[in-house]
Amino acid sequence: MAGDIGKIRIRVPSSAKAGDVIRVRCLVIHPMERIERDAQGKIVDRNYNYITRVTATYLGKPVAVFDLTQSVSENPAFSFALKATAPGPVTVTFVDTHGGKYESRADIAFA
Amino acid sequence: MAESITRRSALGTLGVVGVTLAAGALGTPATARAQASPQALGLQETVQDGLKRVFGGRPMKDGSALIKLEIPPIAENGAVVPVNVEVNAPMTPASYVKTIWIVADKNRIPIVARATLTPDAGQAFVGTHIRLGETTDVRAVVEQSDGTLLTAKREVKVTVGGCGG
Repeated sequence: MAGDIGKIRIRVPSSAKAGDVIRVRCLVIHPMERIERDAQGKIVDRNYNYITRVTATYLGKPVAVFDLTQSVSENPAFSFALKATAPGPVTVTFVDTHGGKYESRADIAFA
Repeated sequence: MAESITRRSALGTLGVVGVTLAAGALGTPATARAQASPQALGLQETVQDGLKRVFGGRPMKDGSALIKLEIPPIAENGAVVPVNVEVNAPMTPASYVKTIWIVADKNRIPIVARATLTPDAGQAFVGTHIRLGETTDVRAVVEQSDGTLLTAKREVKVTVGGCGG
């Protein structure tokens, strides 16, 4: 499990036409650690590892940026829309609180 | 001489910013809360405090006609609750949906996530999976490029809490 942190799957439609608004879904393997409390209910103070920022770009331009908290699920999935103007890459970058940076890309192909 | 003082004070300011950021990453102890910027996420607070901090006293319009908030009415597992927000509004450089916030009223961290969009998205749509600690209202707050705030909410019954943290 631990070795899989940062594994990303991106799903895009298999083909698109110019001008279509398409939806992209991506999933990252990440523990998104929750705040822990000790027996007295006090918060255990440490650097919890969770994703704070997800950046999605298409053709090098940002489309959607997500800012996250620990209220987001483990192995989170994100969806967003983009307007397909030309064939090209969608890049999704995840940044977590332990300095981890994970990136993956998928290509939008035109029919 | 004057130059070195400017440089020094500039460095000092940078140091404060660094400390605030580091404190934010460490689960926000109470001392950091006072310094947190109005846009900071992930604070432990009540939903009223959170909305007041982020949006100030700005009026919020009922956007339930425009906002499609898709969330299951009953979540058996509060650890993974899918949420989709779609806003029926234009996405052109002149007028677009700038930010979508997801707020879970009864979570310890009520301001769950913020999505910032650009007109290149073509459609105001975001989706993610969130944690819900207990049965709660979930709201979407939408900010448009002209500053208008719209909101819609739905109640979700949670069978097993996912401890929103």
